[in-house]
Amino acid sequence: MVWVRFSCTIAKDPSVLMSPGSDPTLWQRPDSFSRFGKFGGKYVPETLIHALSELESTFLFLATDGDFQRELAGILKDYVGRESTLYFAERLTEHYRRENINNAVAQALLAKRLGKKRIIAEAGAGQHGVATATVCARFCLQCIIYMGAQDMVRQALNVFRMRLLGAEVRGVHSGTATLKDATSEAIRDWVTNVETTHYILGSRQALEKWGGKPDVLVACVGGGSNAMGLFHEFVDDTEVRMIGVEAAGFGLDSGKHAATLTKGDVGVLHGAMSYLLQDNDGQIIEPHSISAGLDYPGVGPEHSFLKDMGRTEYYSVTDEEALEAFKRVSRLEGIIPALETSHALAQLEKLCPTLADGTRVVLNFSGRGDKDVQTVAKYLEV
Amino acid sequence: MSSTKIFQVRGQPLPRFPVRNHRMINTVVCGFPIISHHRVSNVLSRTSGPFLGYVPARTDENPFLRGDSNGRFGKFGGKFVPETLMSCLRDLEDEFNFVLSDHEFQVEFTAALRDYVGRETPLYFAERLTQHYKNIARTTGDGPEIYLKREDLCHGGSHKINNALAQAMIARRLGCSRVVAATGSGQHGVATAAACAKLSLECTVFMGTTDIEKQSSNVLSMKLLGAQVKSVQGTFQDASSEAIRNWVGKLETTYYLPGTVVGPHPSPVMVREFQSVIGKETRRQAKQLWGGKPDVLVACVGSGSNALGLFHEFVRDEDVRLVGVEAAGLGLDSGKHSATLAVGDVGVYHGSMSYLLQDDQGQILRPHSIGVGLEYPGVGPEISFLKESGRAEFCTATDQEAIQACMLLSRLEGIIPALETSHALAILEKLVPTLRDGAKVVVNCSGRGDKDINTLIQRGMPSSLC
Repeated sequence: MVWVRFSCTIAKDPSVLMSPGSDPTLWQRPDSFSRFGKFGGKYVPETLIHALSELESTFLFLATDGDFQRELAGILKDYVGRESTLYFAERLTEHYRRENINNAVAQALLAKRLGKKRIIAEAGAGQHGVATATVCARFCLQCIIYMGAQDMVRQALNVFRMRLLGAEVRGVHSGTATLKDATSEAIRDWVTNVETTHYILGSRQALEKWGGKPDVLVACVGGGSNAMGLFHEFVDDTEVRMIGVEAAGFGLDSGKHAATLTKGDVGVLHGAMSYLLQDNDGQIIEPHSISAGLDYPGVGPEHSFLKDMGRTEYYSVTDEEALEAFKRVSRLEGIIPALETSHALAQLEKLCPTLADGTRVVLNFSGRGDKDVQTVAKYLEV
Repeated sequence: MSSTKIFQVRGQPLPRFPVRNHRMINTVVCGFPIISHHRVSNVLSRTSGPFLGYVPARTDENPFLRGDSNGRFGKFGGKFVPETLMSCLRDLEDEFNFVLSDHEFQVEFTAALRDYVGRETPLYFAERLTQHYKNIARTTGDGPEIYLKREDLCHGGSHKINNALAQAMIARRLGCSRVVAATGSGQHGVATAAACAKLSLECTVFMGTTDIEKQSSNVLSMKLLGAQVKSVQGTFQDASSEAIRNWVGKLETTYYLPGTVVGPHPSPVMVREFQSVIGKETRRQAKQLWGGKPDVLVACVGSGSNALGLFHEFVRDEDVRLVGVEAAGLGLDSGKHSATLAVGDVGVYHGSMSYLLQDDQGQILRPHSIGVGLEYPGVGPEISFLKESGRAEFCTATDQEAIQACMLLSRLEGIIPALETSHALAILEKLVPTLRDGAKVVVNCSGRGDKDINTLIQRGMPSSLC
């Protein structure tokens, strides 16, 4: 079972391939220059180049290494509890008649292969931090999590969880003391300690269930990991529509949002070329979202690429709409979604009325909302 | 000792109760006399598929009863209730017996367990924990192997949903519009609220004020899931009493959903049956993983639902040791504990006869445990029976030992267990050195510890951890 599908069987000239109107089934993503079209790349200090090359070649090797894949599959099943269910949300469907630990596990195994004993990661909502701390405990690796001081206050329980799992949580006070600053600090650490340190940076069931493919995929987009996790498998299936939902915070016109793909421009942040929220001087704009995990001014290069190619569509949802969706799904299905996931769920309000009867929509229920009950209780006066 | 006889005779529909809008039973139910609940419980296995009433004909000579027709396990159990409740309990028992062999119910339930609850849960080899205990015991061999049955991965965070979902389905079939429940740690409350949301039932959960403070995130979750949470002065035992009073007051429309194996018959049997999926999966998984059975099963015991869920499948396998762990709180001599089987006496409480913590005058004592879900002065009648008959062993772990065990598992395996579960983990320290190399120990990891983070913070973690 290969958790990543690397379509590197076709070696063609990438600049011709990944252009608008070209056949997505022939794209090599990323290409041999680590680009998705013009996005992606390796914008890093020279010190990191060797580490990245080493990482890349080990990764490519492991993608097809039977032993590694078997070990990973075993852990995903017995430790993580995969495969997660594809659940028919009957009451939600009725109403409309109306992603973290996987990545962390694979990367921890990778780090062990590379002989790295020290793991660093950044955290926003804290979920990636918790996932990383979890696997580091499991694999006996030293774990350091960088987290913006502001986020540490918002997500105090997750901070405690990380420490309980044995991780060291370092608060970052620079800049706006949120995710992007934590990421920068983590990168600085990595550059300093690259010898010993590995940096862990943050679709078959359909066939079984109804003998076909989904018609529409929906996922929330912060940095883009859960969305890519769901979308990737289906990129070549052009009849499957893919919808990413970003955080519109207080509204797109308020200036307080995190809708990178809707309102951003192309630039370089954290080592890659992608869309980002920047002002006229190229300074990063402080984003806002009620959900810490979507509160990021950038987005993964592959998303930027798919957007430009017109393969995926991106919309955005406000804090208020996300809270409504949070409440709605809890009441209708008895499942409390994370606030991040609630953004994707909120989009269903606008999406479902436009779809034909019997259309099959698969939404990535990326996380549970236990971490958000305190926040939501304040807003909803529960 | 008589065996259970539940007859569903070919061609004869079971008596239905018109006031509740039951659908008439027109389908023929295969008419095999079902000798014991134990055989019937096979229907709930996911891989064996829907059960159509086949039961191998054999006499029940095994001394371990499944509860006779009055819900007795030896002298324990029974139906010590006011007359008003007797017919209700009979209805319930009939419906329960029916759904056990109803194809439609089984298919729907199996699908919900798979797609909503997220079963089957993994049987996880805890390598680092095994290594840790091996190092302590300093054996030259490989030491015993420790496996965790990951009920913490169920939707809602504990095993409670297995039972809540099934009973909510029964409530709907009985035509009830409203469900009441009582909860200690909040896990049963959350599971019930979730199941009711999913099945469009109104839900009221009673919870003790002390517990509400200690498990506040669960309270918020219940409310978000649409349940009404009513506070009751005291703890779980008081909340249970209030929930039952509320039920009796509105019998026509209300279903009382117990979270554990206490209460008048048929509750203990029902809850155990629905939780027994844990043990069934474990048997299958053990076979796949090492081609055999577990040697020792360990589970924490509050009232006994997760323990029976794991143990029940193996009660007849005399080579499988069953170990239950109760809460010793601040120590058995302190008077502040919940070790019902260790120091309690037999009496009647909440409708059934069982061991309980009572004083010389038969007044119920107030229990204590840091694991709120273990804080109950009674225990399920079937558990009392397993103790009396010597089939299962019971020991205790203190608050402090549970906290240590919680932190150990977090550090070694990256799994934060509930404080209740941590009691089961705590006895591994004493148990493992007594076992032979290669002995397979399965611990029921009954719930996750997210709800306990605040408690752990308050208790103060050692500075080496921060």
